[in-house]
Amino acid sequence: MSKFTKEMVDSYADKLLIGLTEEENKMVLEEFDTIDKTISIIENISGISELEPMMYCLDDIATNLREDVSLPSIPVTDALRNAGKTDGREIEVPKVVE
Amino acid sequence: MNKSITELHELLVNKKITDKELIEESLKKSHEVEEKYNAFVTICDDAKESEITDSLVSGIPFGVKDNYSTKGILSTGSSNTLKNYIPFYTATVVEKLLNAGAVMVNKTALDEFGMGGTGTTPHTGPVLNPWDKTRMCAGSSAGSACAVASGVYPFALGSDTGDSIRKPAAYCGIVGYKPTYGMLSRYGLFPFASSLDHCGVLTRSVLDAAIVTDIMKGQDNHDMTSWDSSHIHLKDALTGNIKGKKLFYIKEICDIKNYKDANSTLKEHFKIFNHSLELLKESGATIQEESIDIDLLKAISSVYVVLSCAEATSNMSNLTGIIFGPRSDAKNVFEMMKEHRTLGFSPLIKRRFIIGSYVLQKENQERYFKNAARVRRIIVDKMKELFKKYDALILPVSSGPAKKFDEDLDILDENTNILEEHLQIGNFGGFPSITIPNGFIDNLPVGINITGNCFDDENVLNIAYTLEKMMPYKGQIAKEK
Amino acid sequence: MKKQIAVIGLEMHCELKSNSKVFSSAKNAYSEIPNSNIAPLDMAFPGTLPVVNKKCVLNALKVSLSLNCSQPDYLMFDRKNYYYPDLPKGYQITQMTKPIGINGCIEIEVNDKLIPVYIHDVHLEEDSASLDHFFDTTNIDYNRSGVPLLELVTEPCLHSKEEAQAFLEHIIRIYRYLDVSDADTKKGQIRCDVNVSIMDEDSRELGTKVEVKNVNSLSGVAKTIDYEIRRQTTLKEEGRYDEIKQETRRWDEESETTIHMRNKVDEVDYKYFIEPNIPRYPLKEEWIEEIKKSIPRLHLERKKDYIKNIGLSNYDAEILVKDKSVSDYFEECLKLDIDAKTSANWIITQILGYLNKYNLSITDFYFTPKRLKDLISELEKNTISSKQAKEIFKEVIEQEKEVKDFIKKNTQLSNEDELNNIIEEILANNVEQIEEYKKGRTNLFDYFVGQVMKNTKGKANPVLTKKILNEKLKG
Repeated sequence: MSKFTKEMVDSYADKLLIGLTEEENKMVLEEFDTIDKTISIIENISGISELEPMMYCLDDIATNLREDVSLPSIPVTDALRNAGKTDGREIEVPKVVE
Repeated sequence: MNKSITELHELLVNKKITDKELIEESLKKSHEVEEKYNAFVTICDDAKESEITDSLVSGIPFGVKDNYSTKGILSTGSSNTLKNYIPFYTATVVEKLLNAGAVMVNKTALDEFGMGGTGTTPHTGPVLNPWDKTRMCAGSSAGSACAVASGVYPFALGSDTGDSIRKPAAYCGIVGYKPTYGMLSRYGLFPFASSLDHCGVLTRSVLDAAIVTDIMKGQDNHDMTSWDSSHIHLKDALTGNIKGKKLFYIKEICDIKNYKDANSTLKEHFKIFNHSLELLKESGATIQEESIDIDLLKAISSVYVVLSCAEATSNMSNLTGIIFGPRSDAKNVFEMMKEHRTLGFSPLIKRRFIIGSYVLQKENQERYFKNAARVRRIIVDKMKELFKKYDALILPVSSGPAKKFDEDLDILDENTNILEEHLQIGNFGGFPSITIPNGFIDNLPVGINITGNCFDDENVLNIAYTLEKMMPYKGQIAKEK
Repeated sequence: MKKQIAVIGLEMHCELKSNSKVFSSAKNAYSEIPNSNIAPLDMAFPGTLPVVNKKCVLNALKVSLSLNCSQPDYLMFDRKNYYYPDLPKGYQITQMTKPIGINGCIEIEVNDKLIPVYIHDVHLEEDSASLDHFFDTTNIDYNRSGVPLLELVTEPCLHSKEEAQAFLEHIIRIYRYLDVSDADTKKGQIRCDVNVSIMDEDSRELGTKVEVKNVNSLSGVAKTIDYEIRRQTTLKEEGRYDEIKQETRRWDEESETTIHMRNKVDEVDYKYFIEPNIPRYPLKEEWIEEIKKSIPRLHLERKKDYIKNIGLSNYDAEILVKDKSVSDYFEECLKLDIDAKTSANWIITQILGYLNKYNLSITDFYFTPKRLKDLISELEKNTISSKQAKEIFKEVIEQEKEVKDFIKKNTQLSNEDELNNIIEEILANNVEQIEEYKKGRTNLFDYFVGQVMKNTKGKANPVLTKKILNEKLKG
């Protein structure tokens, strides 16, 4: 019996603002079981708990911080060109209610 | 158009062909290839020839994977979520090529946002393999691999998060090179998994890969992970001399005895691989076998899935249809965002997002995401330890030639074997990694991969260059079976 | 019921000053014109990447050091993932794994008493876009998207609205002293979240924590605390304490109440993870030391110094340290060896009054400490009266001249012999008036003073004149 349920999958999807069809949901469930099995491979690798997770591709790259210089704004026409709906210089969306 | 960059440059300089003819030919070829293999999202019919200068790429047509931002030209990531998106800025690496006089003639199709290894999930439909239309190109840089193999131009840009340049290159019989992480700026590359994403190039020769990368590389103040590579000169490093170089392969991957039911294709694949090793030895390199804990190797694909899906779900959170992308008519703003995502993303990447989100959740993060990142470190540390002893790792790409469309559904399957996934090691560590063609099985090309330590791109390319010289596959153009 | 004490923790977000935004090169400035200060990253166009502004890191480090926090070895950032129309990337870049400062502690003054406040952490992050709501639509302006924010989180160690307010005022003043922010609540540069719980006075067990979001003024913070303490105490009194849930509420300005938003269980999981696009950046010892050296003495330290070592009153010291530039002016005066109390008096009564009246800033004030020194030394030499000094003060500023330019004209006639001669001559010409005076018209005394002034064009030392006249008219 899988520890994942259809409802769980739908709730995960919903939090990502994604809707799933029945079929898609089923596929996620199947995939979850596979992942859960493979994750146990990972867990069983010895000595991992003390390790620092590798979050960067290169650990110590000589990077620079940016000097505090401001550049001209992008033109508002460029900024809005791809938006579905605009109002004057702004992007318009249906009313956002908390 | 079947020629290399240097050959074309020669012809242009000597006025054997005009720059205009070259672009026209490339565009014409683009339409043919589009017709036959469905390789492109956009063909830039209004592409203009550019002045021929000292730069080897001046006047040379090239293709750009459609997950690069290109100013004024549709850039979709092969996703319905961006099917009408026209950027107002150009990715750094593309800009550098344009500044050098190269001419972008098309935008190539990919697995949606690079999330896939089949070339079957672009919103414009699957890309077909130019050697056999019933087979896939692999992905995600499917369109770029297909176009270069078909002789549309000498090079195209790809991107590589798992093996997205290097596997399609093998399936299409060409060269695919992903330099060390950060040698090429990612500014303008639509992100899939930022800590694994690499820009790179697909060509028909190692020399061309070196030429193009020499132009594209460099520290970019738009990308903090890019670094100063001004001391690296890839083209100049191709001496063809690898005497004394030490290479290794991984026993657990390369020993045919590990594959209980090895079919004739797999046997042939290893035979070709071993032949390549012999050629390298003839050139004065030594090759040794190294053993790596099989559990680590088995974990590669899980680590990859967990990490790449997690980063992807965050990276693609900007796709809500508010600022760009098609918008739904929903009256509630959150419904509007949800509808955009539900309709825009293909089922495959929706599933990956859910996996990614799941492994990042507070209660799961330690067990899934962080443990995966820890195993990533073990694998990378192991490789770095080996790279102290060796100049490069050499392995066969995949389990054979391009797969039939009905063979692989690109769903995680527990039998997915190490042979198919090992190239992801190159992304884990940011290692320079190149695939070159090394033979044929049933008239379908197969490839071999050479991977080295970070910042050691010159060495990796020179080994590939030397091996390439000893084989007859350099510059080959796909011929349908 | 036992006496209740409140336990309060604050989260204070403050916009930082800089030329450009924290991760993009767009201008960091308020603008009435929507979408006029934007870079591609601020709208999360695909392929854009964050690049950290050094100045913002510097400012955050200044605060971290000033709050006596410890700094991490490496600068790094995390992503806080959530969907909201004002958050174009779908995540905010913030610091969770390694905040720029942790475990700080500062002393603040509440009703003339010093109390410690413990700082959980201080971290650098980015602001969201602003939403303008209309009847059935909302407009999005990305000018604010990516503006640097510093979030300061205290431990739950405050116990009253007075303490909370004093703390916020203290921090605002530190930010201004460090010149990292204008910390202007009127411009919406400061936003607070307030955590409140109550517990029995003798208990050690914390009560249920209620978080109130988005309180945008200091008075709002005080009112929120008041309201929550009352609400929670009442419920407890009525034996309904279990109705208090670990929840998030918001302060409603209009009704002056807090309103339930969501329960703890419904809390968003932000799925934090390390931002891979910003490599770890080592915060080198030398840089930290250099920054440390650049940090000025802060107001409380100055105030203590002014009271203890200079002998100013608490009241005067408070006025002087309120604004760093005023305090700097005062300290400049001390460097010039002007008497401390005299300069304090001059600054408080004359200079601040003048600046206020004409809405000027002391930083580029024409009447520099050097000029104040000139003026005060003339006063001390008795060459001018204090009334004259006040006039010269204004003249110098208005005519943009030096103090000495007015001293010449105003040199008093204080030579007794000379004055004696002049007065003798005047009296000789006014025999009749002398007679009248002696008969009792004493108000004629002013007439004689007037004559002396007229004769000397006002330069006669008035005190001396009166003295001589008195003597002569007596006889």
